[in-house]
Amino acid sequence: MAEPVHINRMPTNPALLWGGLALAAACLSAFQVTGHLVAGVSPRPGTAPLDGIILYHSVLPRIAVALVGGAALGLSGLLLQRVLRNPLAEPSTLGVSAGAQLAMTVALIHAPALMDHAREGVALAGGLAAVGLILALTWRRGLEPVAVVLAGMMVALTATMASAALILANGEYLFSIFIWGGGAMAQQSWEPALTIAVRLVAGIAAAVLLSRPLSILGLDDASARSLGVALNLTRFGVIGVAVWLAASVTAEVGVIGFVGLAAPALAHLSGARTQAHKLVAAPLIGAVLLWLTDGLVQLMAGIDGERVPTGAATALLGGPLLLWLLPRLRMFEWPSLDRRPSPSRRSRRPGRLVGAFALIAAIAVALALTVGYGPEGWTLSTGKLFSRLLDWRGPRVAVAAAAGAMLAAAGMVLQRVTANPLASPEILGVGTGAGVGLTAVLFLTAGSGIGLQVAGSAAGAVVVLGAMLALSLRSGFGPERLLLAGIAMGALCSAVLTAVIATGTPQAFALLRWLSGSTNDATPADAWFCAVTAAVLLTALPLASRWLEILPLGDVTARSIGLPVRRCRIALVLYAGVLTAAAALFVGPLSFVGLIAPHLARLAGLGRARTQGAGAVLIGIGLMVVSDWLARTVSFPYQLPLGLFAALLAGPYLIWLLGRNGPRSGQP
Amino acid sequence: MGPLTVTRRHALALAAGLVSLSRPARAVPPVRPRRIAAIDWAALETVLALGVVPVAATELIQFRKTVVEPAVPDRVIDIGLRGTPNYEALTLAEPDLILTSNYYEVQRRNLERVAETLSLSVYQPGLRPYPVAEEVTLTLGRLLGREAEARAVVAATGAGIARLRDGLRGVARRPVLAINFGDARHFRAFGGDSMFGEVLRRLGIENAWATESSYSAAAPLGIEALARLPDAALIVVPPIPVAVTRALADSALWQALPTVREKRVSTIGPVNHFGALPAALRFARLVSAALLRQEGRRHG
Repeated sequence: MAEPVHINRMPTNPALLWGGLALAAACLSAFQVTGHLVAGVSPRPGTAPLDGIILYHSVLPRIAVALVGGAALGLSGLLLQRVLRNPLAEPSTLGVSAGAQLAMTVALIHAPALMDHAREGVALAGGLAAVGLILALTWRRGLEPVAVVLAGMMVALTATMASAALILANGEYLFSIFIWGGGAMAQQSWEPALTIAVRLVAGIAAAVLLSRPLSILGLDDASARSLGVALNLTRFGVIGVAVWLAASVTAEVGVIGFVGLAAPALAHLSGARTQAHKLVAAPLIGAVLLWLTDGLVQLMAGIDGERVPTGAATALLGGPLLLWLLPRLRMFEWPSLDRRPSPSRRSRRPGRLVGAFALIAAIAVALALTVGYGPEGWTLSTGKLFSRLLDWRGPRVAVAAAAGAMLAAAGMVLQRVTANPLASPEILGVGTGAGVGLTAVLFLTAGSGIGLQVAGSAAGAVVVLGAMLALSLRSGFGPERLLLAGIAMGALCSAVLTAVIATGTPQAFALLRWLSGSTNDATPADAWFCAVTAAVLLTALPLASRWLEILPLGDVTARSIGLPVRRCRIALVLYAGVLTAAAALFVGPLSFVGLIAPHLARLAGLGRARTQGAGAVLIGIGLMVVSDWLARTVSFPYQLPLGLFAALLAGPYLIWLLGRNGPRSGQP
Repeated sequence: MGPLTVTRRHALALAAGLVSLSRPARAVPPVRPRRIAAIDWAALETVLALGVVPVAATELIQFRKTVVEPAVPDRVIDIGLRGTPNYEALTLAEPDLILTSNYYEVQRRNLERVAETLSLSVYQPGLRPYPVAEEVTLTLGRLLGREAEARAVVAATGAGIARLRDGLRGVARRPVLAINFGDARHFRAFGGDSMFGEVLRRLGIENAWATESSYSAAAPLGIEALARLPDAALIVVPPIPVAVTRALADSALWQALPTVREKRVSTIGPVNHFGALPAALRFARLVSAALLRQEGRRHG
């Protein structure tokens, strides 16, 4: 357990680095403040008191909010990572921010009075509900890191999608989503800063009081219990504090991504080793990160407003920082994520299982083509009506099926190549990378054809995957490093997309629609293109099954059998990139099918590469087609985001399967 | 419902999971379209103003709430969101002409599969929306055989704004700033290149937002930016998020703004931000009423 930690010397003294960054942030703030002071003594009459008011009620509170908010998120992330022994735990991956946001959206629409009086309470309830759900779901697996992050991302995505769907359905779309989702920092009183500061002080006090049990919690359960820690009570106490911190930040300024994840990791990378050091370093680094980001956002702001919301911009700054530091670290102190997915039952008759999945997929397709909701309620379309509606339903179903199949295959390949159960196009940022490629094409060429769009999004996806590969090849495919890099890359790409959407041009509008993920605009030509691409690409999958069987066993084994490991990996990663790009172009980056389908296939008992591939592809088809059908019919004629239903459908089933195959239940 | 008949074409289509492109060639488009479907709200407004009731249009729940006039008769079929119209519902409405705009260019390929599609864009980079809206109105008038009505709408809108301008003549002249709140800390301004900015100009009012805003859905400003415009009268355009009103009442910064202190803030009724001539006239009416009220308050 207690492996020595090797750190390549950081190129600079960490204290110097953070000191320098803090100094930069301070300079930016000083620039803001002096701007108002100078204006205050300007000869224009009548404005001086106002500038004072702006300085006091807007500029200074904004600095304070950035500092305390960043510190609160850093502390929250640190506590969660510690107590769950999970380097990927943070308010976003555990669904705290998303849950808080959903609760606030629901309250805003259905109980606005509640939002007036108990904004923070509503946010806290939402955050706690999300975390509670995740913990309940993964309890039987002993809160195993992989299971927790899987459940967390699922809950977070579902909540985000549900918020977006609610806002869309109420027609308020662009503006409020942009401000709120982005985490905007503008202030006009000290109240938010004070509110967060009080929570922060309470949080720090709690963390100090709990520091002994907290450090013991870093050990495994058995040792902790033998040392007499009231394990669950302490755990829940710490989690409660962390959620409270994150929820109050979300309530006051919206969702600020990435700080909770990056600050503890950066603290560790900067050499904070002991619990006490980290308790000091993580909040400080979080504060500096947010302060600097917000200063830069204000610096870049033109006369007509800020280009990027601070909450998204944190990723623009923290993402590259994390990516740059990651390879300089040889070993995380955290216990490793489960390298090998927990042993699952292997079906004795995989052929029959694949057949069953094929049948389910076929039923899903038949359902989506014939049953619809129309002005007269639910209808089974037959005859002439069927032939008219088939013109619309056919392409949709074809695109959904092809995209589902391609994403599932891509996820399966990535999970096997990286021997990482959480690897998938969505989590490694490949989908959003494809989006950045697509953006470039949309903006650089007028009226680009589908060919160019595919090329652009494929280029984006492959570049992201290539970067992942290069980063992790430097010291083997460590699962945490790869996932951290992937999440950082995904956040970075999303921030670029957010900034582009903020331009409000017709292209941005198109991009927003792409992000929400809809097959609504699929034409027969799209359908043919998608189907043919899927068919061509997927015929290669069985050919790669030997590689996929061997690679997860490790490089040494693979080499000893005579596999050209490096070349295999590069080929497979390219393959997964193209699959993802082709699918994401039509269904957006957030479908989650690529993560879920391979797990469902494996947990159902399909263990070998060939049968798992077939099962995953069929499950991907079924899931995507049914999700698309629900998105189309549930609130007819208004259409909802596809990803919402994909997550809603597959999430509970996946978690049930995870629980059923708990690690303590022994070998099958 | 007839029995489920699967033709050879369907069988093939089902086999591939999709439908072939080959449709029987459509009859020659009717000389005078009678069944209109509107994707774009500016087009919807204009068509209604010409006295034509479309068969289908988008987001009618929201349209009735935030555009208000012209009223949409109940028999118009709602075909869902502007961004993702429901093609099945659109097909069943059997339009013979679909009106859309540059913001929905992605949909064109599919809209054309339903019926002839015409893109009329009021909002284009570098073009003033008001004259474009006039042009769009006249074009639609020609197309729908309502040329006289179209000319009347253009004339009535121009005359209506001119009359309102005369009514404002005696009123103290201040620059006016039209804004929309995102939340209690952010707003966006309607600059000279927006429809509202141009209506202000036609009302003979100086727009306090001097820069071109390239009025977009994003790029919100913090309300401290309002301090730069101490002399302006403020027109708040709905929708106003629920929490904003109360939050502003408690905000020291907001209360300290000269505009607020001197009660030069008015909230007008809802009006379409991306509308055509009907929205322009409605905005002109709402603004001049608000300014006259402000003036009355100051003297009364």
